[in-house]
Amino acid sequence: MNSGLPQHLSIDSIVKRFGTFTALNGIHLSAARGELLTLLGPSGCGKTTLLRVIAGFLQPDAGQVRVAGRSLNGVPSNARNFGMVFQNYAIFPHLSVADNVAYGLRARGVTSADIARRVADALARVRLAGFADRFPDALSGGQKQRVGLARAMVIEPELLLMDEPLSNLDAKLRIEMRQEIRLMQRELGITTVYVTHDQEEALAISDRIAVMDKGRILQVGSPRDIYEQPADAFVADFIGGCNWFEGTVSNGELRLAAGPRLACAAKPQTARLALRWEDLRLATEADPPHHRLSARVAMASYLGHRVRLQLAPQNGGAAICADLPSHGEVPAEGTTALFAFDPQRARVFGTDGTRLL
Amino acid sequence: MRRAPALPPGGVLARLDPWPLLGAAALLVVLVFVAWPLSELAVESFIGQESGRLGFENYAAFFGSSYFRRALFNSLTVGAIGTVIALCIGVPLALAYARFAFPGRDTIEVGILLSMLSPPFVGAYAWILMFGRSGWVSEFARGLGLDLPPIYGTLGISMACAFGLYPLVFMVVRSGLARVNRNLEEAAYSLGRGRLGVMFTITLPLVLPALLTAALLVFLGVVSDFGTPAILGEGERFPVLATLAYSLYLSEIGAEPGMAATTCMILLAITLVLVIGVRFLSGRRSVASDTGGSLALQPLVGVRKWAMTAGVALLVLTANMPTIVVVVCSFLEVRGAVFQPVFTLANYQSAMVAMGNALWNSLLLATIALALIIVVGAGAGYYISRRSGLLPRALDLLIMVPFVVPGTVLGIGYATVFNEPPLLLTGTYAIIAIVYVIRRLPYMTRSCAAIVFQIDRGLEDASLSLGRPPLAGFRRIVLPLMQPGIVAGAAIAWVEVFSELSASIVLYTGPTRTLPIAAYQQAATGDFGLAAAYSTLLVGIAAIGLFIFLFAARGRRERAFGWV
Ligand SMILES: Nc1ncnc2c1ncn2[C@@H]1O[C@H](COP(=O)(O)OP(=O)(O)OP(=O)(O)O)[C@@H](O)[C@H]1O
Ligand SMILES: [Mg+2]
Repeated sequence: MNSGLPQHLSIDSIVKRFGTFTALNGIHLSAARGELLTLLGPSGCGKTTLLRVIAGFLQPDAGQVRVAGRSLNGVPSNARNFGMVFQNYAIFPHLSVADNVAYGLRARGVTSADIARRVADALARVRLAGFADRFPDALSGGQKQRVGLARAMVIEPELLLMDEPLSNLDAKLRIEMRQEIRLMQRELGITTVYVTHDQEEALAISDRIAVMDKGRILQVGSPRDIYEQPADAFVADFIGGCNWFEGTVSNGELRLAAGPRLACAAKPQTARLALRWEDLRLATEADPPHHRLSARVAMASYLGHRVRLQLAPQNGGAAICADLPSHGEVPAEGTTALFAFDPQRARVFGTDGTRLL
Repeated sequence: MRRAPALPPGGVLARLDPWPLLGAAALLVVLVFVAWPLSELAVESFIGQESGRLGFENYAAFFGSSYFRRALFNSLTVGAIGTVIALCIGVPLALAYARFAFPGRDTIEVGILLSMLSPPFVGAYAWILMFGRSGWVSEFARGLGLDLPPIYGTLGISMACAFGLYPLVFMVVRSGLARVNRNLEEAAYSLGRGRLGVMFTITLPLVLPALLTAALLVFLGVVSDFGTPAILGEGERFPVLATLAYSLYLSEIGAEPGMAATTCMILLAITLVLVIGVRFLSGRRSVASDTGGSLALQPLVGVRKWAMTAGVALLVLTANMPTIVVVVCSFLEVRGAVFQPVFTLANYQSAMVAMGNALWNSLLLATIALALIIVVGAGAGYYISRRSGLLPRALDLLIMVPFVVPGTVLGIGYATVFNEPPLLLTGTYAIIAIVYVIRRLPYMTRSCAAIVFQIDRGLEDASLSLGRPPLAGFRRIVLPLMQPGIVAGAAIAWVEVFSELSASIVLYTGPTRTLPIAAYQQAATGDFGLAAAYSTLLVGIAAIGLFIFLFAARGRRERAFGWV
């Protein structure tokens, strides 16, 4: 974590239980001013719970949330000045677009001339300038989400919280909106906590990502770190497609049951090797034999920019995948081919999930 | 550098969550006005009327007396027969409205609404006018040499009640039908079943919980009703539990409060057993699903279309006949106890004099009660459906109790408890207003809780995150969205409060007499012309109130959702 920098948001040992179930189990996290921090994890891992603790909708059983060094314990959510964007938009259905956006400003006693100006600005920023008098029923999903965004931003929040804001939109709109959100967030410099379970979205939008599982944070890092240097087998598996090979480490070498070997300095133990789908390629003369793997192509799916092969390794073992560039050479279904990998692309994990190599 | 954000204004008040406090206050009120009188009655029922000792003496006396046993038996048979009749009217209507398009649907539906408006005892009085000893129909039949079965007793009471209560069946079953997943019926059609087959094998079994609920509501309505058996039971000759309790408590010679309490407890026990039984039965088979939406209305063609209209219209007209008869009679001249075919306003002229301040009392009390019902009911409905924990659950339970407590029972409970300090309320306007509120609060709370349940919680979170304290968010976001539920609850509550008889008849004194009480008294013992005029005023004002609510609801909605 980027310690040393003054942290705008810092979350300290947060524990949240529902009855006997522990939804958040000691969360530490921080974000610098202006940073976009994403909480990424599978369904039920506690992302929403953490966000709602930050927002003040839930009281943690232990721990602290601090913003700009100030503890938020006992501060009700309506006094926190955090903007929030909701998954199901939560646009007030009986208020016009302009009244929705003005809602928070009215609560702050802003003069009506100021309100009019700021609402117009905010609507222009989310490209809804002509929609001020519309009612929510007459808006598309994307437009509702923009209203939600404008409503949260217009109060100049200390912190912006977003819970899967794009998950109800269709694929194309999702990509468009996430770029808009990113641009706007940077422009305004609002510290943002963004929740998603879509890894591609997380990689695309974040300054840093916190990967969560079962109420814990497994790794925090830049998108590139998370993808290329997963700290943990769960993180490696959750983000991107991974092939897993069982093997054992002995005498400074990892031997896979499937055949290949590579150097590994860890102490003798059973281990697993993770190899991303795109890191498995057709073998060339230059590849040493112990980095090769012979497999039959069970199925080839054309995905546009890639061809995804389902492979059955020759010497047994679970089915694996390989993503090959679609413009290059691609073996036909039913044929057997030799594949290879670069050892520096391989990640090795112990049985408990910790990274060995 | 960004400038420091303006934190929302407001001190301690903005930071406090006021709902638990309001909830606790409401709980205190229902403890005093629901739990206390009922537990007092329960205790009294175990204090021997003769000996003053604690025990089952009163219960033994009750079941030892053939007269008391007959009251119990009468209540049960009247309830059962009334329920069957109401189902026979309500279920076909519900099916017709939930499934078929036919001409005149909306117009006829107003008729169904109207039959809810007139309290059953007004119907009972109309039955006497038509089928009583000197009723026209009876006279006419006698002229033809026919002797009609007597209207006094079981048949008359159950019919009069059923004609007033079938709209409940209609509404409950229709909304149950609307919630049946359309794919289920479509699947049955696609498997080759005809319309009737689908109705009996799929539709009706699926709405069984709704049918049970409807039957329960009608049964409770019949056994709790005081006015109808009091008018059609000819005083002591055909006792039911409600009239028995009343006369035991208030009889001028030798009132027996202990036995009255015991009778109340037995009446209450019947209603509780039924409520719990129906809960149990329908809880086990919750089959209605809210996905998929309901079937589109099937258009009928040719003769069938008109046959449907005629059938539905005839049914509704029959059910409204008593009210129509009363209204018409109110404009007829009365000579002796017989209406003459001469139109006159004489009945209203004498009503204006005879009624004293009954009309004014009713308007005042019902308006005050309604205002309280709206405020307390909307708040409690919100609190109950949004919060979890012991306090909201207890509040929910206690608010709902009066829904199944017969009015006479509650009235006797109030008369017993609030007859002495610390809360000396008997004889006041307050006690009648309070009993109105307590009896009809459940409608509003339910209606509001149901709609709050459908309002996205996220809206309140959004409001909080934008800096509004909880109460402000409630007022600006939740309350406007609750409006349809509030209006629906208020409309029913108004009608019910304005024609409330069975509790207020126990609690009124001369100066606090209300219009339903005056109408009942004239119908039971007095002047037929006055009774008709009072009843017409009663139904008319209830109707005006109802239509104002329905109209206001429509106007508001259009204003709030301006693009329509
Ligand atoms: N009010 C509650 N009572 C009991 N358990 C709860 C409550 N709210 C959340 N949970 C549990 O806490 C866990 C975390 O829930 P949370 O909503 O934070 O998950 P999430 O990561 O946001 O998942 P998703 O991606 O599906 O939205 C889940 O197992 C959930 O069942
Ligand atoms: Mg979530």
